[in-house]
Amino acid sequence: MIELKGIEKTYLRGSEEVHALKGIDMKISKGEFISIVGPSGSGKTSLLHVLGCLDRPSKGSLLIDGVAVEKMREDELVRIRRKKIGFVFQQFYLMPGLTVFDNIALPLVFSRTAIDKEKIIGAIELLGLKGRIEHYPKQLSGGEMQRVAIARALVNGPEIILADEPTGNLDSENSENIFELLKSLHKNSLTVIMVTHNNDLAARADRTLLLKDGRFPG
Amino acid sequence: MVFLKLAITNLRRHGTRSLLTALGIATSVAVLFSILSFNKGFSKGLARELQRTGIHFMVVPSGCPHEVASLVLHGSVIPKFLNTSVMEKIVSMKDVDFATPILVTQLPNAEKARVDLVYGMEMSRLSAVKPYWEVDGKIPSAVNELMAGSEIASHNNIRKGDLLTYSGVSFKVSGILKKTGSQDDAFIYMPVEALQAILKKPSGATAIGVKVKTPETLAKTTDELAEIVPGIQVVTMNQVMSSISNLAASGKVLSLSIAIITILVSAVGVMNSMLMAVFERTQEIGMMRAIGASRADIFRIILKEAAILTLFGGLSGIAFAVAGSDIIEKFVRKAMPYIPSGSMVDFDPVLAAASLVFVSAVGIISGLYPSWKAAKISPIEAIKG
Ligand SMILES: Nc1ncnc2c1ncn2[C@@H]1O[C@H](COP(=O)(O)OP(=O)(O)O)[C@@H](O)[C@H]1O
Ligand SMILES: [Mg+2]
Repeated sequence: MIELKGIEKTYLRGSEEVHALKGIDMKISKGEFISIVGPSGSGKTSLLHVLGCLDRPSKGSLLIDGVAVEKMREDELVRIRRKKIGFVFQQFYLMPGLTVFDNIALPLVFSRTAIDKEKIIGAIELLGLKGRIEHYPKQLSGGEMQRVAIARALVNGPEIILADEPTGNLDSENSENIFELLKSLHKNSLTVIMVTHNNDLAARADRTLLLKDGRFPG
Repeated sequence: MVFLKLAITNLRRHGTRSLLTALGIATSVAVLFSILSFNKGFSKGLARELQRTGIHFMVVPSGCPHEVASLVLHGSVIPKFLNTSVMEKIVSMKDVDFATPILVTQLPNAEKARVDLVYGMEMSRLSAVKPYWEVDGKIPSAVNELMAGSEIASHNNIRKGDLLTYSGVSFKVSGILKKTGSQDDAFIYMPVEALQAILKKPSGATAIGVKVKTPETLAKTTDELAEIVPGIQVVTMNQVMSSISNLAASGKVLSLSIAIITILVSAVGVMNSMLMAVFERTQEIGMMRAIGASRADIFRIILKEAAILTLFGGLSGIAFAVAGSDIIEKFVRKAMPYIPSGSMVDFDPVLAAASLVFVSAVGIISGLYPSWKAAKISPIEAIKG
């Protein structure tokens, strides 16, 4: 359960203040699949960063499982990111020097968790990446890279997946696959929050939120 | 393990840059290690030479303190002479084992149109004065025989049985002194009487070498001697060695400073290389923060890269230095005024380890700033979705 109360985010660009989020109130239940749409610059990424404890809100309160995180120390935020949150990006952001296996295992390294080889290989096969385990990112297609990124987001067993335009760099067939993959995760009781520009996909979520100029209008 | 893999693959992604940076480190470590090895070899060589010399002190005319060191170690010709009559007084002292005259000069070799350095000594004392010398042939046993050092012999094609003429006197070459590695190799050795005759100074000596019966009586003997014989100066071999050490010390300081500067320059190279790597990987670093890396993790990854880079460079540098030690030794022998005999640059694991530790420390210190920069990168700035 995630609750946002009056979340605001103000960036400084030089001496100019940019109000990216202007008072967000929302509740997200456990296991919900939410899509967020909105024009470019409306604050979608900023919202995901706040939700993912990558960034602190300038104002307002964020409760994850009833705990206020906005005043937590950096190391506590790191622990929440490791334990509860998985990020998926539009540009995949795989480490080019690491194999598929090592890319997926990387969050375990950061969270100081023993690497369960069998489990990772199982997950890789489940995601249709069998035979790709020892490959490097540049040997993969876009759809495959995004599946690796999703496997990486899942490896620490998070409760929330935050996906920022995960299909933005993919063709329609791969977009469909990735979307179905995210949906199947949510069926396994994961909370999935997905930012997208694809209205068709957005409409197939449990709930679609429209962000405009840092607010949810209406 | 994965951190290590990450660091190595990151270094390999910019292979040329990493290699050049490591090369800078390698060069500076090679210089440092060579200099340390040489300095140590030099001190060891001096000590060894001191230990095996058969003479405890030298008596020289007073007023030539600077020439003494070079005299003993054969280099310069002192224009003043002692009279060998002082020898009688020296030998009559109860703790003195023996005293032997030494006469060093330059003699023109008319036929060959060159000037040779000639060392006159009592051949019967040779084994006592230079116990480690080996001679190919015979030690001169008559006044018309001489012996040539290996270097002067090979340069001028002097062979056993040849005849050499100095000031109208002919000498037969009875033997060639085998290579000692020191300046001894550059001299002609003849009986002191023969040289005295040529110089028309029948009782002249540049110095008198003295051996005492037991080293414990050395101080007492030299003190007494200074009282009995006026106009002389006593120089112990220890003093000679320490004045050579002092001469060498400024060279050591200079060479070490150069090594340290080289290392600092290559440390700047490491810092530059790592800063570039951090700058290029801003997004990646932001992503790692998003998937659970703490600032400290990022710091450690970058620092590990710097450490691997310097360690790799350092190990290569030691390898270069060992592989090139012969060339380095030849070069230094030419450049230094005095080098004790024997090999100077021996591989010393302690010095190798010390050089590595030093350069690693410098490398890690120069990696600190880039690592701190990387740790400071804001993940939201880095990953703009
Ligand atoms: N790190 C930042 N510094 C300054 N301004 C920023 C920063 N990140 C985003 N912004 C600004 O905040 C606004 C919202 O950006 P963003 O959240 O990226 O929107 P979206 O993802 O919907 O395109 C934009 O005007 C953007 O320029
Ligand atoms: Mg965005």
